[in-house]
Amino acid sequence: MSFENGEATLSGGATRLWSRRNFGGLAGYAGIWLFLAIFLIYPLIRLFYDAFTDDANAFTLMNFSDFFTDTYYLKATINSLLLGVATVITTSLIGIPFAFLLLRYEFPGRGLFSYLSIIPMIMPPLVGVMGFVFIMGRAGTVNVILMDYLGFAKPVNFMYGIHGVLIVETLHLFPLMTLSIVDAMGKISPSLDEAAESVGSRGLRKFWDITFPLTTPGYVAGALLVFIWTFADFATPLVVGIDDLLASQAYLNIVQFVDRRLFKMGIVISAIMILLAIVFLIVAKRYVAQKDYSSLSYSVIERRTLSTAGNIGVVVFLSSVLIAAFIPYFGIILDSFGKGWALTPFPVKYTMQYFERVSIETPKFILNSLLYSGISVAICIVFGVPIAWVMARTKLPGRDTLDSLTTLILALPGTGIGIAYLRAFRDPFPFTETALIGMWLVIPIVLGIRRLPYTVRGTFASLLIVHKSFEEAAESVGAKKTVTFKDVTLPLIWKGVLVGSLYSFILALQEASATLLLVVPGHEMMPVGIFNFYMGGSVNEAAALGLILIVLGAVCLFAINKITGAKAGGVFG
Amino acid sequence: MKKVLIVAVLFTAMVFGCLGTGNAQTIENELYLITPVSKDVHDPVLKAFAEYAKKKFNVDVKTSAIPKGTPVAYGQIIEWKGNPQADIFWGGEGTLFDDLAAQGLLEKIQLPKKMWDEIPESIGKPVPLPLKDPKQFWVGTMLEPYGIIYQPKLVKRLGVEIKDWDDLLNPKLKGQIAQCTPDRSSSSHATVEVVLMTHGWEKGWDWMRKLAANTGIFTARSRDVPSVVAKGEFAVGFGVPSYMAFAEVLGGYDVMYVYPSNAYVTPEPMSVLKGAPHAKAAHAFIEFLLSEDGQKLISQLGVYPVTPKYKVQGAPGSNQEKAVAFTGGMRSFFDIQVGNVYNVQQAGDKKRIEDVNSYFRKEITEKHKDIVKEK
Repeated sequence: MSFENGEATLSGGATRLWSRRNFGGLAGYAGIWLFLAIFLIYPLIRLFYDAFTDDANAFTLMNFSDFFTDTYYLKATINSLLLGVATVITTSLIGIPFAFLLLRYEFPGRGLFSYLSIIPMIMPPLVGVMGFVFIMGRAGTVNVILMDYLGFAKPVNFMYGIHGVLIVETLHLFPLMTLSIVDAMGKISPSLDEAAESVGSRGLRKFWDITFPLTTPGYVAGALLVFIWTFADFATPLVVGIDDLLASQAYLNIVQFVDRRLFKMGIVISAIMILLAIVFLIVAKRYVAQKDYSSLSYSVIERRTLSTAGNIGVVVFLSSVLIAAFIPYFGIILDSFGKGWALTPFPVKYTMQYFERVSIETPKFILNSLLYSGISVAICIVFGVPIAWVMARTKLPGRDTLDSLTTLILALPGTGIGIAYLRAFRDPFPFTETALIGMWLVIPIVLGIRRLPYTVRGTFASLLIVHKSFEEAAESVGAKKTVTFKDVTLPLIWKGVLVGSLYSFILALQEASATLLLVVPGHEMMPVGIFNFYMGGSVNEAAALGLILIVLGAVCLFAINKITGAKAGGVFG
Repeated sequence: MKKVLIVAVLFTAMVFGCLGTGNAQTIENELYLITPVSKDVHDPVLKAFAEYAKKKFNVDVKTSAIPKGTPVAYGQIIEWKGNPQADIFWGGEGTLFDDLAAQGLLEKIQLPKKMWDEIPESIGKPVPLPLKDPKQFWVGTMLEPYGIIYQPKLVKRLGVEIKDWDDLLNPKLKGQIAQCTPDRSSSSHATVEVVLMTHGWEKGWDWMRKLAANTGIFTARSRDVPSVVAKGEFAVGFGVPSYMAFAEVLGGYDVMYVYPSNAYVTPEPMSVLKGAPHAKAAHAFIEFLLSEDGQKLISQLGVYPVTPKYKVQGAPGSNQEKAVAFTGGMRSFFDIQVGNVYNVQQAGDKKRIEDVNSYFRKEITEKHKDIVKEK
């Protein structure tokens, strides 16, 4: 892609405007690149530099050879990959039928189910597994009932082990799969279906020939997100006593600084996780590139009604999955109000003291969260909207790379980014004694980078739906690009930008993998507060703070639903 | 002009400060700890200090703590390279503090001489445990054992009784023990050392393997051990500081505590970090903590005063009395014969620390599943 090509496609009038308009425009474009170069590319390079050097900064492959000759780390790698694949399978088994039913059939409570099915995504790290343990742990509600009332001699082990991690991840992440499939299937024109049926293709055959190939890109994108999320989660396994996963090892090795060897291994593991993430991305690339989402609008699907038995079956299936997925919420609610709850099915004493403590004594967690997430969304908009615009509307050189970079961010494990930042920004600024990692500003920046893809995707999708002819019409009567953007494009895409930003906001609120490593004292956000309370033994306070965060997230999600109507899945791609 | 004024004011303040007209001296309005001492203790102490500072210096001090396990905090301080983001390092093993002092990362503690002298040099027999650094880089702040916590209801149901370390090896406790790993927690590390120094290296590790056979979870952090026991998820916790167990009692949970023979007793050392952004507040904080008010405050939290001068004592029904009952009637470590086999010099050796941690990692945690199957 070269400049000449880009110019050649512009009309003659625009060519004259090119020089004037472009000076500011190009400076802005350079600004975007500078931002990405400093806060995304440089930290990653720094991480790899550290992984390939020894303490004396000499090049070495020893670190990697240590990794690949250590059977424990190899086992952890295999476990992580298996867990990721297993979660993709289980979320598919639940998420695909969910999407299919919600989209193609009419049954009682469909609207409610479709709203509730996204809720489980709102689950800050640690909170989900905590909630599960309260209900399903060895001394959780279910086991206490089994033992005290149903004569079980021993508790059933639902949680402690890799299967516990799988349960937690599955019930947390299946909505991601559902959203991806809903999004993809919603774009299949019913005329294709009809055409298939008119030539006698029905049922499974039709699914295999028409529905399946057309939903594959959406499915792969969803599967990749589920996989990476599971792959990068270190909190859940640690709570249920599982160490032998890559993310847990990276975290444990990094947070212990005593043994420099282990610390180095933490860096190496992060580098390997990022490399693996890049490999998965390349494998899935032809499905998840932004451009492949160019289907323009959602088609209206005629929903089929079901027999009574069918209705009952569907409602029972959806309800039981949702009840299971809501287990952590029950656990969190009970524990945030219950005092001294142990070995009884439900708390015996109730109190408001934990909410008082987290909201009155330490409101900083809540305030910091809102402030930093807000700033990070501002960063997302300032950089994300122009990036999407460049990708959708221009032929500037480097826009394909922008596309790849923003997609790459989605695949990067948060722990890896956190560690990369720790290494990259620990030296003080010139002439001062403060380094970026000691300033609170690093938190909104890392959040902004991490959540950028959601804003880019939301905006990009909207830009594709707004037909270029509107803008061309405005320009043909003499409007400048900027005026066109303000008067024509922006009013048409603001919903997409807003929805993308709200997703960025929800996810920024819940982020704890990168921020946990970068936390600056006095500037902790809610998820870090949850970690601190939990790690400090104040489990009830952690639950209370978690509940507040969940409610905040649900409110944002409700707002998204209101804005977009039924098309909530749009930005997830 | 303004600058000159500021310099003049600072200069006057310095002169008066040096002359010892202490009342004119003030402290910074922020204070940050990095500490493995859990919220149960550091929160109330920081709050009390803020009130004290308001009264004494008329300064509203904003306080916060970075909660990190001892090894992690130690590593973080080295990583800061003399530009710390915290003022005070509090808690863990004295040897790590000696190590930091040797690297020039600690500042000498400024305390009134009388206060310093009230703290005994050491405690324990046959091996003495130091309570303060003769070079004055760290000072002990409170005493507490690393012992055993258990859930009485579960233990009764399992039909076992817990009085000392060896009771944990009862096969009936299979899958019921929670412990942390020594590389993540200094209380686990010290307790493993107690086992190794009691039985010797080989037999000590055999003992640890037997404990691993009964272990149901290696938690991510030492503070998780009492949490999971209080909740009833696991019946017994190994190597738990007494105040953490007591915090669960204050939180309304039903747990019991055992101070087993020769358990490690920590003085929870405290240091001011070299280059601390709020050094004056840091020194004031130490002085507060070692004052009568400070020592009284911590005696409500399940730990013991570091000097013989103060004892855990309160009105009937007070937290002090609850704490005394909880740890079997003891009011001060200086009232009893403290048994100790933990050798600070030996255990503090850098190579020894790494050896213990890596042996535990290779032979206990990584082989845990096999050990459980075998036994």
